[in-house]
Amino acid sequence: MRSFVYSFQSEWLKKRRTASSWLVIAGGFFIPVILLISRFVDFETLPVVNGGPHLWEFLYGRSWQFMGLFLLPMGVILATSLVTQLEFRNNSWKQLHATPQTLTTIFFAKLAVILVMMLQFFVLFNIGIYLCGVIPALFNGVPYPKEAYPWVAFLRGNGRFFVDCLPIIALQYLISLQFRNFLVPIGAGLGLYVASMIAIFWKYGYVVPYCYGALNFLRNNSKVDPNVNFQTWAVGYFVVLTVVGYVLYMTKKEKG
Amino acid sequence: MYCLETDRLTHTFSGDTIVLDQIHLQVPTGSIYGFLGPNGAGKTTTLRLVLGLLKKKQGEIRVFGKRFDRDRLSILQRVGSLIETPSLYGHLTAVENLTLLQKIYRCPKERIGEVLELVGLPDTGNKKASQFSLGMRQRLGIAIALLNNPSFLILDEPTNGLDPNGIIEMRELLRTLNKERGMTILLSSHLLSEIEKLVTHVGIISKGKLLFQGTLESLLHQRHAGAATLIETSDAVRAVEILKKNGLDARIIRQSNDLETIFIDLINN
Repeated sequence: MRSFVYSFQSEWLKKRRTASSWLVIAGGFFIPVILLISRFVDFETLPVVNGGPHLWEFLYGRSWQFMGLFLLPMGVILATSLVTQLEFRNNSWKQLHATPQTLTTIFFAKLAVILVMMLQFFVLFNIGIYLCGVIPALFNGVPYPKEAYPWVAFLRGNGRFFVDCLPIIALQYLISLQFRNFLVPIGAGLGLYVASMIAIFWKYGYVVPYCYGALNFLRNNSKVDPNVNFQTWAVGYFVVLTVVGYVLYMTKKEKG
Repeated sequence: MYCLETDRLTHTFSGDTIVLDQIHLQVPTGSIYGFLGPNGAGKTTTLRLVLGLLKKKQGEIRVFGKRFDRDRLSILQRVGSLIETPSLYGHLTAVENLTLLQKIYRCPKERIGEVLELVGLPDTGNKKASQFSLGMRQRLGIAIALLNNPSFLILDEPTNGLDPNGIIEMRELLRTLNKERGMTILLSSHLLSEIEKLVTHVGIISKGKLLFQGTLESLLHQRHAGAATLIETSDAVRAVEILKKNGLDARIIRQSNDLETIFIDLINN
């Protein structure tokens, strides 16, 4: 366990100043900033909306609508691929595999970094949503939100989105560990995302593992069987794809 | 006692091309072992197999007397390596590059400053590794290899990119590490004159076969023992033709007894 912690620390340090770490920060605040700007554009409605009873639900729903449908899957595809690309680009797999740590530790430490980065993104995104409601109150005539921030409900909602992302993380991780060329995981990710957008108009669309985030918003417009618990499918896919990725990584003939 | 020993190490790439054929490498503990061979001879493949970077197909690898496939972690804890180009994270500084390995090796933080001092890179500050010159990158690669204070150091072309002063400094550093800290060093290089000045033992590999292995003295001695009559002539080609017509084995050699000549002779025959 200690070796895993040290390996995780090492992997976490590696992503300092990388595109993936900036992506998490920029991605976390992107939608809230746009939403905040749009709120200021309609400045005259701000006093009513900010003092209203459903401010947080409104901000949360609007933010997640844009994020969950398109930006989150794209961000996950990019960030996951960038984490492994770091080793290929710097030709450092050979150094990493010549260190005294098991291949299992390396595999799961990298996966843990991606998962923690996702959590980091969720935290920043929620802080962004919160600031989106609070910052207008700094201006004259706009009240501070009366409604308490619904932490528990939002935490549950965030948890669902996080689970929706898990199959994307697992499959992107699997692909990006196998291919040196960055375009392969990115191309596969974009292709599967487009396929998932088409698949939601199919009864069995839930079998495409990239569509779960979108299904949260488009369920009523989709033809996917409404009785299917796609969160269970997401977890199942994550477990299966992680195991397959692990086996492929362990049995790779060349390790740098 | 051998620090590294391989037994009938054989490796094939796709298409069953044999790249290593029954290699029996023996690196004595405390030696500086020069691993020589032309491009594509199998040097890097051997070193990658020794470090577990390639899946072993046939043969056995023993490091510190232990089988590599059984004691990989305890062996790698005591091995430092630099294979081909240095593995550096370009977006990180020299200290950061070392810190991420210091966490894995669990060595004291002070060791980072020590190895940077050792390789002559004490003041790189916030400069990213991607902004380093080729020589600086090579020095940092060697600092990484030395970070865990290894008992066995494997260096593949360590003087690549170093200027003449850097090469001399590196030679002195390796000699000091070997003499004062008892570090066994296995280094491959194509700079034969450099190898000759530094190594105690030599292994010569060509087309996947180990042609010679032993001390540098024994190689030079073998050269003397195998020497035949040396004829100096103004037309060597014609002389060889005449000798061969008369049933004598003859060939043209350069009249020199340095490692480079011996190496070329071995490879060509």
